[in-house]
Order: sequence, then structure tokens, then C-alpha cells
Amino acid sequence: MSDAPDRPAPAPTAAPAAAPDSANPPCVLLVDDIPANLRVLYESLNGRDYRLLVANGGAQALDIAERSRPDLILLDIMMPDMDGFEVCRRLKENADTADIAVVFLSALDDAADKIHGLELGAVDYVTKPFHPDEVAARVETHCKILRLERELGQRNRQLELVRDRILHSMVEGVVGLDVEGRVSFFNPAAERMLGQAAARLLTHEIANWEPAPLRDTAITVLAERREVSVDELALPQADGSTLPVELRAAPIADADYPAGAVLVLRDLSERRRVEAKLHRTSSELSRSHRELRAAQMQLVQAAKLESVGRLAAGVAHEVKNPLAIVQLGLDFLEQVISFDEISTQVLADMQQALSRADTVVRGLLDFSRERELDLRPYAVNKAIRNSLQLVRHELTQRNIAVRTELDVDIPDRPFDADKLQQVFLNLFMNAMHAMERDGTLSIRSDYAPVTAADLGPHARDAGFLPGEHVIRIAIEDTGPGIAPADLGRLFDPYFTTKRQGEGTGLGLSVTRNIVTLHGGSIDLENRPDGGARALLLFPPQNAPADTAPQQAESVAIGHAHPPSATQW
Amino acid sequence: MVTHTVSKKKILLVDDEPALTRMLRLNLEQTGRFEVREENRGTNALRAARDFRPDLIFLDVMMPDIGGDEVAEQLKQDPELRKIKYAFLTAIVTKRETGTGAAEISGETFLAKPVKRDELLAVVDELLAE
Repeated sequence: MSDAPDRPAPAPTAAPAAAPDSANPPCVLLVDDIPANLRVLYESLNGRDYRLLVANGGAQALDIAERSRPDLILLDIMMPDMDGFEVCRRLKENADTADIAVVFLSALDDAADKIHGLELGAVDYVTKPFHPDEVAARVETHCKILRLERELGQRNRQLELVRDRILHSMVEGVVGLDVEGRVSFFNPAAERMLGQAAARLLTHEIANWEPAPLRDTAITVLAERREVSVDELALPQADGSTLPVELRAAPIADADYPAGAVLVLRDLSERRRVEAKLHRTSSELSRSHRELRAAQMQLVQAAKLESVGRLAAGVAHEVKNPLAIVQLGLDFLEQVISFDEISTQVLADMQQALSRADTVVRGLLDFSRERELDLRPYAVNKAIRNSLQLVRHELTQRNIAVRTELDVDIPDRPFDADKLQQVFLNLFMNAMHAMERDGTLSIRSDYAPVTAADLGPHARDAGFLPGEHVIRIAIEDTGPGIAPADLGRLFDPYFTTKRQGEGTGLGLSVTRNIVTLHGGSIDLENRPDGGARALLLFPPQNAPADTAPQQAESVAIGHAHPPSATQW
Repeated sequence: MVTHTVSKKKILLVDDEPALTRMLRLNLEQTGRFEVREENRGTNALRAARDFRPDLIFLDVMMPDIGGDEVAEQLKQDPELRKIKYAFLTAIVTKRETGTGAAEISGETFLAKPVKRDELLAVVDELLAE
């Protein structure tokens, strides 16, 4: 424990030899210039358990007091060489003799004299002529007081020692303040934690302490005499860093008497470190979890696509040849035969049917292609703008307004630009078909922490967690919305609500596959104020999409494939 | 039944589907501008080409015995046949990839099935004009 320098060091332990006890009886010095008086005094105390010394004048008394350090002096006032008041004054002046208890003896029975003597530091006053028993009783009382005082002092020192040991071994920093706000002590832990602030606490008024929260807390606890705490406080350290500590301040309880306050500092750096580690571990865990989910999704998706893809390729080949034969056959017949009105209509119907069949087969082929991504860093806003450009004309014709809010701070990330445009094109077309005529198509994009409300079923499946930063695109229309019964089936292949010939039922399925292959998610929902909303989420970088795309072998479904295609 | 005229351009059709080559032939011949020969075995394609000396060959990409791309490779290796223009007929390349008419992918011309008569004739004219 470091005592504040402006406080006196504890008085050196008084010589234990002087402590009055049975082996070491109290020493009493009797001072009177009249031998008869000395004798009476001596008689009244002799035979009791005292060591007795005598002096017949003031000078001698001072001399003996200096040498023998009695516990108590019975001091006559009226003496020719030096009166008792002067002797007392000198005794009190001398640090070595200041502690000696003085009891005045005098015939003077004047209240002013008594007060003068007590003011000089005397403990008592005995008026002559005195009764020996009274003298003995008073001496005994004062010796007892002396003994108790010394015992108390010793006990006090022991307590202080125990307190110091406790304070020394405490992990918490403890700072004691007196009523004036001066530091009365602090323990080594406090000294360490306070760092640079420690010196300032000792040398400055409380009003000038730093850092401010420490100052304010100390002022408040002293002024308002209630507990105050600061959950976290940064204490600047010598090396330029700061130490996070918790500060609790409490007034020292002492009945009605204000007795200062104690500040307790708790080092939070270890806790913060553990918390940070926990947090890291937990976010690593959730990231791995998400990656695992995404990988699993992709495996399932890839397996599904693999089989669907093979089937599609096979079907496409098998169906396209007959389609080609019928097509060319019809075309030929049209050239070589002249038809009547009804036959011309039949031919037209057949041509239309052919073209529909071709559309379906094409959709199937598109669907089988979704596992191939050509990934390059790309801006999602660019894909949105390009896709919008493709439908701009039709939007204008249908009197549909477009409102865009595209956040310019979205980072580029690996995308297959063509596929991404296909995604937006599909979604814009769907919105457009839903609204038919008149309405508003709103497109918002941003890069922000995802909220729990953003997480639809697909987003949760894809492993997105609230709070993580994602690229977010919301596409809203003012159409009739989605029938509740259809919500669960929207992404199923071949599910469509469109009129025959308007869609293959593969659009959303293809869209979701593309988004999933990019590590993202797409959810559709009805907006509370009418219309439907598609919400797309993409992780900014991580996710499977940025793991280096392996150059896969050319897909087996056609030799004619551009060899640059990357298989997923 | 094929009337041989000197001015007529010769086209060889290689596809394992006889009905398809027939429809192609009928449409082409109907214009009166082409002399057409069908070959339904991929492995016979080269011999037919040497025999017939066509100006243009249509090659099916996926045939059971040999791929159209391999036939094209052999054509290019053959000093006598290397000058002959050719195009692929395929069921895999979609219309979106080809747009209308033919598409060029890695320097090759692709025609997606099912092809309409008008598209077919346009592509033929384009290839023969080069």
C-alpha cells in the first residue's frame, strides 16, 4: 500500500518497553520544589505497582523526563526555577516527551489556571491540599487510560497491517478518499490500473482529475454520499493504450459522520478479451454453419440439376428432331399446296403449336444450363440497369412507372453477369405481367446489415443471419400480389399462373437456381400495402461464389458448348 | 429425279435422321436453286463429300456413330475438302444463343433445330455468298 506523500507516515512504533503492563509497571515522575510535598506524594503512591521518580524543580523534571520517559508526570505549578506551565509547554514542544501525560498539582484554585493548564496539554488537575487516596486514584485512572490507549494503538496497527495485506492481495484496485477528496491510500492494483492517472490523482485537486468519468464519479460519491458506478471506463496507460475498467464508488459508511469514499476498480481487459474471443468463435461458427448450409444446398441443387440437366438434354435432343421434321414438313407443304380457308387456319394452328412446343423445350434446356457460372467481379446495379433497359419499351407501353434507389456503395462481387441479368429480367417480366397495365415497378438495392424481417424461408435455408452485411435487392410491384395458396409453389419447376403461351413455368425456378448458385437467396412475399415483393440477398464476398471457380471439364450435354463455361 | 444443272449449288446434308434430311432436302430443292444429297451415316460423310463435291455441308452435331464436330475436323484436314463450307445443325444450342438464323460460336456456324424454312434459306444464302 502506497501512502499518499502528503500524509504523515504512521508514527514509528513506540518503544514497546514503555508499554505499561505487569512486567513493566507504569513510570510516574513526581515534581515539587517542597520536599515535604514530594514525600506525601511518594507515600501515597509507594507500595502500589509503579516505578516512581522524583524531581525537585522544573529544570530537573525536564531532564529526567527526557532521559527516563515516564508515562505520567505529577507536576507542581508554583516552582521557583521554572513554573509547571512552562515545564508542560516545553514537554509538549519536544516530540520525545510530548506524549507524556501531565497532571498539574497546585494550591491555585482558579478556574482560569486550570483551563490554562489543560490548554497546555495536561490531562488532569489536582488541587492542594490533596488527599493521598485521591492522588492515587487519579494516577491509577490515567495510567489505565494510557494503557488502553496504547493497546488501542497496537490493535489499530495490527488492523492496519491486516487491511494492508488484504488490499495488497486484492485483484481489484482500491482507492481511498477522505472527505475533502484527497487520496488517503491506493493499493498496488489500483496503481497499476490507474497508470498515468495515478500521479494526477495525488498531485491535483479532485476537480482536475482525469479522465473525466473518474473525476465525476469521485465528486458525485463524495457530494451525494451514495453508490455510483461506471460500467466501463478507459484509463490511459503509459504505453499509449487504454485499459478498460469497471468503476464502483461507495461512500464510507460511518453513521452520520462523513468519512470519505472508496473507489473500486476492476480490470475488464481479460473479460473483454474472452468476450471478443467468444464473439469471434461464435461468428466463425455461424459463418461455417452458413457455408455448410450453402454447400449442402448447392450439393442438393447440383444433384437435382445434374439429373434434370441430363434428362433435359436428352429430351431436347429427342424432341427437337421430330419438331424440326414437322416444322420443315409444314413449311414445305405450305409451299407446294394451295389451301382453302379452313386448311390455312389448321396450318396456322399447327405452326403455333410447334412454336409452343419449341418454347417448352428451350426452357428445359435453359434450366439444365444453370449449373454453369462464369464468375467475374461485377456490380449488381449494372445488371439491374441492363435488365431494365431490355424491358423499358414494354414498361412504357404498359404505362408502368419505374422507381429505382440504387446504393452506389455496393461492393462488386463475383457474378455471372449474363445469368444475373437473366434473374432481373425474369423478375421484371413477372412484375410487369402481374401488373398488366398501369402501376409502379420499384427497385431498391443496398449494402447493409440484414434484418430478421428480411429473412424469408430461402434466406434462412441459405444460412443468412440477422446483422451480417449483405447485398440486398428488393423488387416491388403494385399488382394483385400472390395468392396465398401459390406462395409455397412459386419456385417449383413448371408451376405457372400465367396464361398458356405466356410462360413456361420455369422462370422463377431458373431464377432461384441462379441466385442459389451465387450463394444468395430469393424470397417472394406480398407487401402489406398490396403488390408483391421479391427480396434477393447476396453475401458480399465469402460464400461459395468467391472460392476460385474451378475450370471444369466441358459439360457433357453438348459438344457445341463454349469451353469457357464453368461447371458447378 | 434430281435434275442436274450446272448453275445449281450443291448441298450435302449429314444427319442420322432420314426424315429430317428429307424435309431439308425437299425445302431446299423446292426453290429450284440447289442440288441436294442426304447422308444418314456420319461415318460416310467424308466419302459422300468426295463423291458429291458439295458447296456446302450441313452436319448434325450429335450422331450415334460419329460427332459432327469430328467430321468437320476431318474435312479441315483433307486437302481436297478443306475449302468446303459447312455448318452445324444442333438440337442443343438454343434459339436464344443463335438468335434468329445462325450463330457463330468459336468461329463455327450453328443452326438450332427446329429450323424454319425461311431461316434455313437465309443461312444457306449467307454461307454461299461468302
